[in-house]
Amino acid sequence: MDLRFTEAQEMLRKTARDFLTTECPKTKVRELEEVEEGYSPETWRKMAELGWMGLIIPEEYEGMGVTFQDLMVLLEEMGRNILPGPFLSTTVSTFPILEVGTEAQKREFLPKIARGELVLTSALLEVSGMFDASGIATKAMPKEGDFIISGTKLFVEMAHVADYLICATRTKEGVSPEEGITLFMVEAKAPGISCEVMPTIGMDKLCEVRFEDVLVPGKNLLGELDKGWAVVEKTLEKGAIASCAESIGGMQACVELTVAYSKDRVQYDRPIGAFQALQHIMADMWIAMETSRYLVYEAAWMESEGLPCAKEVSMAKAYVNEAYKDVAKWAVRLHGAIGTSRDHDIPLYYRRAKAVDTAFGSTDFHNKLVAEKIGLI
Amino acid sequence: MDFKLTDEQIERRKEFFEACKKLEKQKPANFVGHESIYTSDEGWEYHLHCAKEFAKRGWLSLGWPPEYGGKGDMMDCVLFAEARGYYDVPGVDGFGVRMLAPTLLQAASEEIRKEFLPPIAAAEVIWCEPWSEPDAGSDLAALTATAIRKGDEYVINGQKTWTTGAHRADWGFGVFKTDPAARKHHNLSFLLFDMKTPGITVRPVLYMHGGHVYNEVYFDDAHIPTRNIVGQENEGWAVVNLLAGFERSGIDEIMRLLRGLEHLVAYCNETRRNGEPLSKDPVIRNRLAQIACELEAARTLAYRVADLQSRNEMSLMDASAVKIFTGELSERFASLATDILGPYGQVKFSRWAPMSGLWETMYQECFVFTVSMGTNEIQKNIIAWYGLGLPRMR
Repeated sequence: MDLRFTEAQEMLRKTARDFLTTECPKTKVRELEEVEEGYSPETWRKMAELGWMGLIIPEEYEGMGVTFQDLMVLLEEMGRNILPGPFLSTTVSTFPILEVGTEAQKREFLPKIARGELVLTSALLEVSGMFDASGIATKAMPKEGDFIISGTKLFVEMAHVADYLICATRTKEGVSPEEGITLFMVEAKAPGISCEVMPTIGMDKLCEVRFEDVLVPGKNLLGELDKGWAVVEKTLEKGAIASCAESIGGMQACVELTVAYSKDRVQYDRPIGAFQALQHIMADMWIAMETSRYLVYEAAWMESEGLPCAKEVSMAKAYVNEAYKDVAKWAVRLHGAIGTSRDHDIPLYYRRAKAVDTAFGSTDFHNKLVAEKIGLI
Repeated sequence: MDFKLTDEQIERRKEFFEACKKLEKQKPANFVGHESIYTSDEGWEYHLHCAKEFAKRGWLSLGWPPEYGGKGDMMDCVLFAEARGYYDVPGVDGFGVRMLAPTLLQAASEEIRKEFLPPIAAAEVIWCEPWSEPDAGSDLAALTATAIRKGDEYVINGQKTWTTGAHRADWGFGVFKTDPAARKHHNLSFLLFDMKTPGITVRPVLYMHGGHVYNEVYFDDAHIPTRNIVGQENEGWAVVNLLAGFERSGIDEIMRLLRGLEHLVAYCNETRRNGEPLSKDPVIRNRLAQIACELEAARTLAYRVADLQSRNEMSLMDASAVKIFTGELSERFASLATDILGPYGQVKFSRWAPMSGLWETMYQECFVFTVSMGTNEIQKNIIAWYGLGLPRMR
């Protein structure tokens, strides 16, 4: 057992922290929230030069081929700084290609992803808003070796700037909802696709994507026909851990900013951080962050070792969802009125904490899974 | 980042678990909750029996340096604690083995170590900690009991209270004012004393459930040899701080709660209410899932502390965090479990009590973690002051 990060990982953390501080100050974050695109293509290019999009892609496909844990380090820093854009969606959507993509698909897509030339996202949720297989109603009908997709996907992050969508469709009405689900790589600008940004609390460009008889070439089928659900589940698992890593970074920022503010802000002739009522809240914030941290690290470690970790992932996501929201709430409270201002950094985290709690499964969704995994019949 | 145990550690862990599983089978029927070692004679006998079994295997001194008969492996201590916690097996003297021994190893003279460590490793001497006083709890340095040097003896006078197991222990350790004129924190000495010393009187203070766990310890001109000192005279406060670092652990408690969760899950699966198993109730499922997540969070953070300890890089913040979090989790869990049991949640060990009345006991004994060993509020001060660098209270 050695729960420290490696020297290389610490280096990556430092590089990321420095890069994000200069490249994406909070004024920029707020600016990007307001514009339609929602990210800076220039920053994206620089990130590609640093090799970040290729982090999890094997070297033979022009990536860096490092472990899931290295990715965690990067995501933590992105969560700490807040980096609007399609990094998480692209990375999470790369996993199914790595796992079940054909050699031809890997050769076609992975080098381009690594070079930052492709923006990806996953189109999973639909009108039910639930990450269960029963929520997938968008149909893909075979037609002469190709497929025709019709339906509507919701909450698809950054779909409006994506090049490809990993789309979960129903290809067969099976005995169980999990049967008959198939994944496709759909060109985002294909005829018949329309996309609209939904106004959300995180201003993070979740989209409604409508498919009207969209023709998808047979070669873009990802994995096995009708057997896509297992891949979706695995993708959700990785997405959940990835989003938890961002949340840990977010909590870290909330604690740092709040502690600094409380040492600085003077009322009743002393810094408000000298009041025990506030000290104990900050201690609790720190505890919430630190308990989250190792729960997530354990899940990430299991994931990178290829160990079955559905239980640990659900535990982490359910726990971190609530911890981040709570920490961010107290960060606002301890800042007082200034903490509620549009121009202040703290509300960015508060809104973000709500936004990520719905991504890759809410607390209730994951608690339901945990209940099964601990043996409740 | 690597949570993996080595093959050797996995083997050791198995050995610890098997031994504790065997000892669990010898547990007296009314042994419910870990304070049972103090509340009944059978409980104390069982504690000593387990202690002897562990001593035979050298497990009471696992973390000690080899020159004192240990293996110097902190990770082994953690794995052993997991096994004891999971099977709720006593046998490790929380005061002698877990707190005093590591303190002696760091702060005592060679002579003291040679005299006092072997009987701890052999489970021949069991310790207690006459620590708090009626007017010195969290603010321990406000204590008033004195130990005045006369020749080669200290003469002790005063009163300690809330002393767990003083009525069972052979020896005690505590801090006393050795220079009543000096200023606070610079007037204390850390002393070791035989509980049979004339002038020491132990009186019970019953816990809320009626069990005899705590005691008042009175000192009336109790004479002890001056060589029974740890550290220098009037510099006992440094020893107190050192010892406090060893008090906070938690992995055994976390494993005990984890086992409790397993029992509770089985109970919910087997128990029908309105024709449905309790396990089908979505509210119960949700609340148990939440507890399971919190337990796993506590467990992984305890590993973090163990990992740091094994490299002698103690993090005061993390150790306090585990203590605070696990204590509050115990309270929440006991409350949830007794809720789920409905009217049966109030029943003590008897034929009506589910799980031998474990949760009724836990509902009361959970304060052992949140109130003792530095209250959670004091622990939060530690995080705020020493960890976050916030201004100290004056």
